[in-house]
Amino acid sequence: MSAAPAASIPRVLAVGWWFHLKMLSRSAFNGILQILWPLFFATIAFFLYGIDGDDRTLLYASIGASVMGVWSAVSTSGSGAVQRERWQGTLELLVAAPVPLASVLLPVTTAMATVGLYSMVTTLLWGRLLFGIDVSIEHPWLFAFSVPATVLAIGMLGFLLSVTVVRYRSAWALGNAFELPVWLVSGFLVPISILPDWVRPISWVLAPTWGVRAIRESALGGHPLPDLLLCLLLGTVYLLVGVFAAESILRSARRNASLSLS
Amino acid sequence: MTAFVNATRIFFLGGIMSYRALFNWLSPWILIPSFLVGPIAQILLFAFLGRSAGVASDEFFVVGNALQYAAIPCLFAMGNTIGDERQEKTLGIILSTPAPRVPLFLGRAIPVIANGFLVALFSLVVGGAIFSIDVPGSAYFPIAVVTLVASFSCTGLGLVCAALSLRVRETAVLANVIFGVLLVFCGVNVPLDSLPEWMQSVSPWLPLTHGIAAARRLADGATFSSVTGDLFREAGVGALYVLIGMAMLSYFEWESRRRATLEVF
Amino acid sequence: MTVIEVSSLRRIYRTRISPWRRGSREVEAVRGIDFAVERGELFGLLGPNGAGKTTTIKMLITLLLPTSGSARVLGHDVVEDPRAVRRRVGYVFGGDRGLYERLSGLDNLRYFAELYGVPAREQKARIAELLELAGLAGREKERVEGYSRGMRQRLHIARGLLHKPEVLFLDEPSIGIDPVGARELRTTVADLRNAGTTVLLTTHYMFEADELCDRIAVIADGRIVAEGTPAELKSRVGEGSVVEVEVFGDAGSVLPALRALSGVRSAVVEERGHSEVIVVRAEPGAEVTQGVLGALDGISLGRVATRQPTLEDAYVELVESA
Repeated sequence: MSAAPAASIPRVLAVGWWFHLKMLSRSAFNGILQILWPLFFATIAFFLYGIDGDDRTLLYASIGASVMGVWSAVSTSGSGAVQRERWQGTLELLVAAPVPLASVLLPVTTAMATVGLYSMVTTLLWGRLLFGIDVSIEHPWLFAFSVPATVLAIGMLGFLLSVTVVRYRSAWALGNAFELPVWLVSGFLVPISILPDWVRPISWVLAPTWGVRAIRESALGGHPLPDLLLCLLLGTVYLLVGVFAAESILRSARRNASLSLS
Repeated sequence: MTAFVNATRIFFLGGIMSYRALFNWLSPWILIPSFLVGPIAQILLFAFLGRSAGVASDEFFVVGNALQYAAIPCLFAMGNTIGDERQEKTLGIILSTPAPRVPLFLGRAIPVIANGFLVALFSLVVGGAIFSIDVPGSAYFPIAVVTLVASFSCTGLGLVCAALSLRVRETAVLANVIFGVLLVFCGVNVPLDSLPEWMQSVSPWLPLTHGIAAARRLADGATFSSVTGDLFREAGVGALYVLIGMAMLSYFEWESRRRATLEVF
Repeated sequence: MTVIEVSSLRRIYRTRISPWRRGSREVEAVRGIDFAVERGELFGLLGPNGAGKTTTIKMLITLLLPTSGSARVLGHDVVEDPRAVRRRVGYVFGGDRGLYERLSGLDNLRYFAELYGVPAREQKARIAELLELAGLAGREKERVEGYSRGMRQRLHIARGLLHKPEVLFLDEPSIGIDPVGARELRTTVADLRNAGTTVLLTTHYMFEADELCDRIAVIADGRIVAEGTPAELKSRVGEGSVVEVEVFGDAGSVLPALRALSGVRSAVVEERGHSEVIVVRAEPGAEVTQGVLGALDGISLGRVATRQPTLEDAYVELVESA
């Protein structure tokens, strides 16, 4: 008898992504909330900008607001992703499988980010139908690249978050604490130039900052390519740090018996 | 007399125990992100949004969001205490006891109100400090009173939520949606007169609307006696929801027994 | 060939006392155990709850690091080379956790097939074969949340076998299953063994170990207190008889007096339905019935019986004396 052949990592990622997407789509209630939640915030932004803003400001806000949902899907559920597997009793099985833990966790958060796409579309439609914000896209091709790139990079940020909080048993409570600050600091609703100077470097290391800029530039007309590349570069850095963190956390989990609840 | 003492015990002990079991909130790991980081982040987000849109003052957003955050523990904790007990199958055990229902459920509200009150005050003080808002020192006590009343009225709405949790499985979703509605309709971030008319006509019937208006005027230096009207309206709205909530609880309890939905989830 | 080699294996757990204060408590769950399992053997770790069975298994399947000592599975060190171990072993635990409830049984199997690197073109046939084995064929498209406990357990076993592991670790697989389900489970396990899979099984059911295992190690309080074939273990208490007395009243208080009788090896109280039964094990050749009844003077007695010892008696005696 011989050992099972090594699993192919791209296949594990793709199948895992589909598997988790299927699971997420099974909870209608959560799906509805995922779509409604950012809409409340978007609505407030539209009202405030609508008081004496011009069309271009509203368009700016509408595009930024549409990405909020991608991050909220990832931040609220990503921080609890590992915890959920632990409660279900599947975490031990995933760790006992002969693939790196990172390749099991990464699809969880990218699937969540993908679900955030629903919210993106809904927010744009909401702005269109209720506030008359007409979104026309200048560079459709670049737009079509920028959106998935941003979703992917946000998924990677969520992955980094999920592995760094893995030892933290109440990680689900962290979602809130990360959701709004990233909206603010990444400039989804307000230009980062009005934030205090010391916040600037934090915005720069957040991939969503560049992702939302790329999406805006390609919709409103501009040069999204540098932003797009920076967004992907940062996403890759998150990935590498996350993979490294996952392995070292796993070693410590084996030492400290923190995988199961018992 | 014994009946009264018993009711009081049920009121306090039952309340504190179920709340502790739910939030396990003695853990700083949950307390800090949920109740301290959360409200400050919300204040910052909307204050900068206001600055960017050139609408209202920092103070407008600090007061509005600090008070609104009182709603979070009230909505979630109330809804979840009952929803969770249904999931953990302890609800059937509790309802099979002869304990009087009113103190049983209202008792669960006391720690929730206290929590909401503290969260709101904390956010007000820290948010005020961040944006160096000049609130007259004499206004703090009256604002605290307003906050307490607003926490009470949010708990009333939380009780309605709790009653619904006997029927609906996804109480957390429900509470989130209510939270969002309060965020938009109660003048937390959008000045009431900037809302469409149909929304303006809903606002007075929601908790927080009158409380936030009162707190803003107090922060601007108004006297306590000039906001008592708002305060009574806020308390009245709260009492209305408590009554609705209790009525729904007793109706659903009876219904659940008839249709055996208590332990079905 | 030796498939599992365990020597001087120890594991200590440290638990924080409270989130507010520093300091921790130490619990030594496994206190230096040694055993070896040969290829094709069905080896049982038998012991009460909390004896260290699960901790031992988790060290062997690389979920926990040993505090000291060493363990090798199929020649691979569990600390040095965890991935090699993981690829060759299967792990199944009892109870109904550990499944993705919202998805179907088929989805669950497909996902783990991918994680275990079952080649894409073999997956379909392998999964169909395992669904057949687990008696889930025809229901594989239903969501797991609607499965019974027995079905979940069989799905777990199917999952553990996806990659045709050379060694299968079964951690209390029959927990919470009805008697018929448990019997089917035992048949499945026996079939696996007959097909050449090495199995390490933990259980606290005596008859299960007796029926299935080639060899048993009895573990109590983190130590192995006896090891051998079921027959060997039985023979340790094989001579001498067992006296059972049904009592109504305070049975616990007379135990010291019973244990002090000459010729008595052990005396314990067992709950059986509504009554309590005092079980006294005698030394070989000793006649203790009269003495026992004498010591029970004043307590209301029910049925009295004398019988030959079983594996359960051997087990209770080993665990009691640990």
